Amino acid sequence: MDDEIEVDPRPLSSRRSFTLRNSAARQVAVNFMPSRQIPYNTLRLRRNNTENNALLTDVAEAADEADNADVQANIIVREMEQHHQLMEDTPDAEELRREALRELPQGLTMKRNVRAKLSASVSLRSKRKPISLWKRFKYRMSFGWKRTKDRMRDLVFSIELWYEAIRNIEGHFGSAVGSYFYLVRWLFTMNLLLSGMVILFVVVPQVLHDKPDKTVNFGFWDFISGQGWLEDSLLFYAHYHDGAVVTAGLSYYMPFAYFFTMVCLYLTCFAVLCYRTAYSYRRNFIETGGGVTLIFANKVFCGWDFGIVSHKAAEFTSTSIYNEFKELLSEQNRNKVSMPVCVRICQYMTNIVATGLVLALVVAVNWGLWHMLEAETAWAGWELAVSALLTLVVTLCPLVFYGVVKLEYYTRRTAVYVTLARTWLLDMGALMLLLVYWSRSNTDCWETRFGQEAYRLVLLDAVVSLLVLPAIEFIRALIYKLNPDSSAPEFNIAYNSLTLIYNQGVLWFGLLFSPLLVVAVTIKFFILFYVKRECALRACQPARKVWRAAQTQTVLYVLVTLSLFATLFGLGSLFFRSSSKVCGPFRGYETVYSVLSEGALRLSEHPAAATILAFFGRPGPLAFILLFLCVSVYYMRARALAHSSMVVILRHMLVLQAKDKDFLLNAIAKVSNGEWSYSPKAAEGPDSHTWKYIRDVRKPSNSGFHFDASRLSHSFGDRPRSRVKEYRPYSHLTERSKSNDGDTDSSFSWQGSSSRLAQTEDDKRWP
Amino acid sequence: MGQGKSQFTEEELQDYEDLTYFTKKEVLYAHQKFKALAPEKVGHNKNAKLPMAKVLTYPELKVNPFKDRICKVFSSSNDGDCTFEDFLDMMSVFSEMAPKAVKAEHAFRIFDFDGDDMIGVSDLREVIQRLCGPELKLSDSEIQQLVQNVLEEADLDDDGALSFAEFEHIIDKSSDFCHAFRIRL
Repeated sequence: MDDEIEVDPRPLSSRRSFTLRNSAARQVAVNFMPSRQIPYNTLRLRRNNTENNALLTDVAEAADEADNADVQANIIVREMEQHHQLMEDTPDAEELRREALRELPQGLTMKRNVRAKLSASVSLRSKRKPISLWKRFKYRMSFGWKRTKDRMRDLVFSIELWYEAIRNIEGHFGSAVGSYFYLVRWLFTMNLLLSGMVILFVVVPQVLHDKPDKTVNFGFWDFISGQGWLEDSLLFYAHYHDGAVVTAGLSYYMPFAYFFTMVCLYLTCFAVLCYRTAYSYRRNFIETGGGVTLIFANKVFCGWDFGIVSHKAAEFTSTSIYNEFKELLSEQNRNKVSMPVCVRICQYMTNIVATGLVLALVVAVNWGLWHMLEAETAWAGWELAVSALLTLVVTLCPLVFYGVVKLEYYTRRTAVYVTLARTWLLDMGALMLLLVYWSRSNTDCWETRFGQEAYRLVLLDAVVSLLVLPAIEFIRALIYKLNPDSSAPEFNIAYNSLTLIYNQGVLWFGLLFSPLLVVAVTIKFFILFYVKRECALRACQPARKVWRAAQTQTVLYVLVTLSLFATLFGLGSLFFRSSSKVCGPFRGYETVYSVLSEGALRLSEHPAAATILAFFGRPGPLAFILLFLCVSVYYMRARALAHSSMVVILRHMLVLQAKDKDFLLNAIAKVSNGEWSYSPKAAEGPDSHTWKYIRDVRKPSNSGFHFDASRLSHSFGDRPRSRVKEYRPYSHLTERSKSNDGDTDSSFSWQGSSSRLAQTEDDKRWP
Repeated sequence: MGQGKSQFTEEELQDYEDLTYFTKKEVLYAHQKFKALAPEKVGHNKNAKLPMAKVLTYPELKVNPFKDRICKVFSSSNDGDCTFEDFLDMMSVFSEMAPKAVKAEHAFRIFDFDGDDMIGVSDLREVIQRLCGPELKLSDSEIQQLVQNVLEEADLDDDGALSFAEFEHIIDKSSDFCHAFRIRL
């Protein structure tokens, strides 16, 4: 408490040191506040309440431990009993009770104690009437559901992949690097499920259909380029059958299988990704938003990563926190000197020019790619060379972008986002361009060609990210070991995550044209995990700057979702164009879409349905739907704006109320400590309000913490002196009351209202 | 995880599952970890009370700047010594499943060094000093400035200390807290 006195020479500090937190009376009064009396609150957070209740009922005669615990448990149970929802005798209420018990900030023994008392109380309360059959069924269902859920969690825990590995990495590098590995694991799991589905519904039937008499002449070159014997294999679109597969009397129509499997997988993935992204966005951006920036508080209270295990990482974290504190302070001191306008304009200009240059680079890359694709050469390896070049560009450009962003004026976090967005634009642009190029080309079976392109990209990227990049990291680590003054290799989360997103993007684009690509990507992610783990543990050093992962992770999810959206957009528009006539499962149909319209729904036989669908496909209705969406977005936005302005108002009110509370509490503290010297006017009889008050409150027994809630209803008007000076409008009240009853202490004005009230009554009686 | 099974009955496990954020398997796993701290003692009595020094050899706690506070907050005897149940409680609060509010509650108690139910200036100074580690020392005026900034941001009612509600407000607004305040089993 001693250090508290000289805080900072700002006006409020005088009041800060004025606080009477130590005062027991104040503490007691706080506990009588309505907000502290709400059962939910007290249940969860007011452990203190129980202590203070004990304080009220005399701490001096504190009973022994066991008794005390019992009393506490009783108090908690009483508070919980006020919650009717909790006390019902149904499975739902039981679940609620379980949750409430878990949230209780007490030890297990106490929880157990509370639970025993609670269930006794519940069974006492429940009316023992026979349960109807339906209810019994419902209860049994909900118990069963709960048990399955628990069992599932148990199972998930025991089969959780790479649990110890990721934990180990987190212990050495903090949770940010851990989150990269979680992303790998998540993508791997998703792709594994996708592979299962694709193999089950598309590949296996095709295998059953294939004649096994083919002679395969394996060539390494073909393996890399996806041509030759691979071209007409299960790997690519062209190989798939366009009719029914008949095995042992069962018929399986391949076009439907192919179409619906793919559509379902794409849409399911999109839904899952959307949900996950929205969830993450809500948790990390919306709930934490609201216009407040708590930079310092965040650094202090959320600075330490509790998952850290190794001494080295702990040292690094300490150092980085120390540096961050220093940086923040110096930044704050610098900010006081406001930047000249022209400097700021220059900075904006730099940013704009750099962004323009990067966009130009992206366009140039795409332009070059297009021309390279168009250049017809006799050389067989040309296509492979194009893919290799593209892989090289995709690998190197992010590094260029990192360099560019360093020249610009962004905050650290924004810089990362900007780089991520630029790289994503480059990747998606190139992939989209490939799709457009091949779909417009006049090749016989362009789907397979695009599938080959995607396959090559995945393969070449595997070479880069599984061999080349780790090799570079290890070389850097070696250099660092030989020459410790050079910069230590750190695990670059943003760059590594971007490779993942790029890979996933290629997969989204290629999946339709090369079903087995998903298996390749899955295997790649599996190997990648181990490679990256070794890289991180053996070659990398913990980061010098603390990287906050939560929001960045959301951005990564957004990018994965956006790439899938772009894919869906591209593929969706292709569905309405004509498909290849000579290869693939849809060669019997005019367009891919007609698999659905003609094949499955047979729209031509139902002209009414066809007309309705055609109507919704026309520009007019589509424009209407779009307009409707725009209007609803606008409405949502307007609502959000209104909400946020309401938040500002409420926050302001909160501050004011808190100040009121502070002020009132000070008054209470003063009253109960008997700090006033008050001499009543001789004219006032012993029956006046003031006297009554003084008799009741200022009794010696009341001077400590012995305080009665009912007294809180009295109106206090005492204000600290500093406040009286601040709030002029009130000062006349003080003066008036002074003149009324001759109070000698100017701060003692609480009785002003009551005595004036008494006086007006007197006036009425004796006009 | 097989060898721990013999020490617990099914009811006990169910009990733990009900009262913590863990499943049965995780409880057993936690016990294994607890046992590793003092194999003989715990092998003898599954709920043995280990002295604080022993508990602090747990890898995550060993390097934590608030390790003694963590033990004290979770210790049922309030002296830092932990039984298995205390340990389980600790791990449950630090686990991924525990909601933000529960974590915030315990974080508040950990950071409240003097136990006055407010994070005051002295508490904040202590937190900052511990965060910077034993070797690096911020100057007194720098700490003062930091404390001042924290209070300016978060102390809504201007009483020179953070109450629990104010602390919870900070935590609510922080996207990183749940990531940071987590120890995997």
